[in-house]
Amino acid sequence: MVIEIIEKILLLSGMVALGFIIGMFFNGFARKVTARIHNRVGPPIYQGYLDVFKLFAKKTNISHGWIFDLAALFSVAGIALAFLFLPVAGISLLSTEGDLFLILYLLAIPALGFALGAGASGNPNAAVGIMRALMLMLAYELPLVMVIVAMMVHYNTTSLATLVQMQSNFKWALFVPQFFIGAIIVDMALQGMLMEKPFDIAIAPHEIASGPMVEFGGKHLGALMLYKMMAIVVETTLFVDLFLGGGVVLSVEQYGWIAYLVNFLVWFALITFVFFLALLINAVFPRFRIEQALKFYWKYDALAALLLLIWVYAGVSI
Amino acid sequence: MLMETFYAFIIGSLVVLALNRFPRIAAVVAIAVSLLPLFALIYWAPLVGLTLPSYLSLLRFETEISYALGPGTILLQITPLGWFFLFLLATTFPLVLLFASSFVRDNAGGFYASMLLTMLGSFGVLLARDMLTFFIFWEIMSWSILALVLRGHDRRAIVSYLAFGSLSAMLLLFGFMILYYKTGTFLFGEMALEATPLTLAGISMIVAGFAVKGALMPLHVWAPHVYSRSEEPFVAFLSGGLSKLGYFGMILFMYGVATVPFFATWGTFRGVPYFGYALAVIGAFTAFAGTVLAIMQDDLRKLLAYSSIGQLGYVAIGIGIGTPLALTGALFQALNHTFFKAVLFLAAGAVYYRTGRWKISELGGLGYKMPFTFLAALFAIFALASIPITSGFAAKWLLYEAAIEQGFLFVTPIMLIAGVGAFLYAYKILYGVFLGEPRHDVREAPLSQLVAMWILVLPLVVFLVFPGWVLDITSPILQEYGMQPVAHTPYVITTNLAAYNTIAVILALIGTLFLALILYKWKPQKVVPHEDNYLAGEPPENYEYISMHAASNYYEPFEDVFGGIFRKGAERGWEIVLAGAEFLSNGARRIYTGLTEDYSIYILLFFLVLVGWWLLW
Repeated sequence: MVIEIIEKILLLSGMVALGFIIGMFFNGFARKVTARIHNRVGPPIYQGYLDVFKLFAKKTNISHGWIFDLAALFSVAGIALAFLFLPVAGISLLSTEGDLFLILYLLAIPALGFALGAGASGNPNAAVGIMRALMLMLAYELPLVMVIVAMMVHYNTTSLATLVQMQSNFKWALFVPQFFIGAIIVDMALQGMLMEKPFDIAIAPHEIASGPMVEFGGKHLGALMLYKMMAIVVETTLFVDLFLGGGVVLSVEQYGWIAYLVNFLVWFALITFVFFLALLINAVFPRFRIEQALKFYWKYDALAALLLLIWVYAGVSI
Repeated sequence: MLMETFYAFIIGSLVVLALNRFPRIAAVVAIAVSLLPLFALIYWAPLVGLTLPSYLSLLRFETEISYALGPGTILLQITPLGWFFLFLLATTFPLVLLFASSFVRDNAGGFYASMLLTMLGSFGVLLARDMLTFFIFWEIMSWSILALVLRGHDRRAIVSYLAFGSLSAMLLLFGFMILYYKTGTFLFGEMALEATPLTLAGISMIVAGFAVKGALMPLHVWAPHVYSRSEEPFVAFLSGGLSKLGYFGMILFMYGVATVPFFATWGTFRGVPYFGYALAVIGAFTAFAGTVLAIMQDDLRKLLAYSSIGQLGYVAIGIGIGTPLALTGALFQALNHTFFKAVLFLAAGAVYYRTGRWKISELGGLGYKMPFTFLAALFAIFALASIPITSGFAAKWLLYEAAIEQGFLFVTPIMLIAGVGAFLYAYKILYGVFLGEPRHDVREAPLSQLVAMWILVLPLVVFLVFPGWVLDITSPILQEYGMQPVAHTPYVITTNLAAYNTIAVILALIGTLFLALILYKWKPQKVVPHEDNYLAGEPPENYEYISMHAASNYYEPFEDVFGGIFRKGAERGWEIVLAGAEFLSNGARRIYTGLTEDYSIYILLFFLVLVGWWLLW
């Protein structure tokens, strides 16, 4: 019993560490890819690791009080928590203890914690940035939840672990015609979730001086960078779990530990691919204004999602 | 002791009225009397399967009573449903009075007397066994609310409350009369409703009457005015406790008096009767529109009022869907809303008590000045936004599960997006009032106010860890209506679709917080004041005169998009109804010309019609 608990704790901490390591890799990867598209050389691919370690090693760390510090704590803790509730490469860490609704709401913990600290910094740029981030969240969540609800009703489950299981043997949701369209809609929402251009409105370095992050430095900024990097992993994993079968290609019963390894590699390749798509869009687009983003999501994306809902409605009877 | 409780309330209200000049003593008397329903609650706990230690039940209360009062009889009985709602009201009420003891200054005796009378009315409503008793106590409650609204001296609030209050009373009375006409009895337990259009009309009227009290759109117009122009302790009780009575009535009449098969005779949609489906759609619309309107408010009280309307929309969705899962979710949401909205209104009151301001754009930076008020409000806001570190999430989760279980493809996204919208206004409160630039040099709120707020936060924390305890006390209600209770243990709720384990969430959160804390404590830090921050290369020259608080028009782009559609929509709608009514009444007034010859012609015409009828029939 005690050994089991210790095993579980070690496994979970290992997963969190892995998530952070992949997240930091993604940061360097993104900068390299963007640089190549812009015909620059760009920083080395391990730049993300250097940045985070440098920030956490800083001697002087400026804080604006205890509410300000909550941002660092809650953003890192919250995003790690959300990661633990996702099935990763078919391994359900804690994902059987909750469902998709829980994950959607867990994703709000780091966001609100971050917003709390940014607000406590007392910088107007931060407040404007948070306002934009929250409105962007409202904007992209509508098409996202519409597609997710359609999938829940179609598959008659709300659990993400069950959803991944139902997609095993390459019965991916992507290959169902309705959800092929759903995947495109959610991919657009993902662009806003990842805050890549044209939806990097909240950060907007040239307008509002990095927005929410303007007052953070040293270890605080390091924590926020960790949060943003891990968020990439969490959000792309959510997409992969929803539409691409969570990266499960070999069944564990049949192949043993090789299956774990292969599934992990496939999962990693898939989330990298999904992120790569977002980067391609990011590299060539200018930035929307916030009300344009709201109108884009609620008019075009949500309209497509509405048609999808009608399609699923016609196909499902209870 | 049951009848004595009612007498105690009446005598107590007279005593506090007499003690008008000694507000402290009046507060003590009022709080002492207000504890009586709490004792009754504890004594009746075995009814819902709770066993409390016997030393807690100091007084004995009858579970059933018939009391001759003049020509009629008052019939009272405690039911599991009544117990559940009594739990919400009886726990909030003494704390609200405690808060009032330092908040209400002028004519305190009148305030406590009216408050005691509202509680008297609510107590009777929750115990009523027949429609007459129900209506009498309902009116006692409604009229004492009016007395409290009158203290706000705001014409719009008073007129809208009076208009909608009487509309509600009329609808209820008509509905009760129709039910009596069709069944021949006033008793809830003996009414066997036949599925005829007339009874359906009666039930619809009753539900509409309750929807006024529950502030469902489009019958919500009174709520923002009343909530924003009355004293905070009363508003906390009105929004937290009294508005739930509307939903109590809805559940009582939709599932206790009428039943699911009754509604199902007119057809069902995905296993839900059309009547319930319509209620769910209205509830979803209320949740969404209430949220959008809350985002656009600058007055703290108006924001909380619209948020209250929106959150209660979820309760209506649950009652509308009416499956065991949905009803449990509705009751749980009602419970959560009671506590977090009471805390938020009280926190708003505490902020006003110290700063004298209601506008969010004029406040700011109070988090460091009033840390305990801030933390209480923060917990309440987490519950409001249903973040899974408070009990707020369990209720929403049950409702979402219920909607997905029935395959509601269009209602569920609206519910979810209204939930996301709640983050927006929640952050507006947090940033505008508690974060940002400190602008008021104030002290922490008085102890009585803090105690009241923090005791109200407790249930949110307890039911976070053990949501099963709420499901324990809602199970007898479902059993009474012949439904299967939701499967649960103290910390795991299981449905057909998924499970939710609160302990796993909390332990994982503690673990990840611990990891984050290690990272964070690695290096020391220095705290600097707020003035010392980065201003994008433009340091203001005379800092004292420039506000760095970006809280006015916070969601301006949002208002640009939605403002035109939603602002004043409902009131304009009612103004059109009013114009129509005025037009018709003016037409009717033309009949009364005041000339004798016209009246004689009317009489002649009437006579001719009578004769003609007699001849032709």
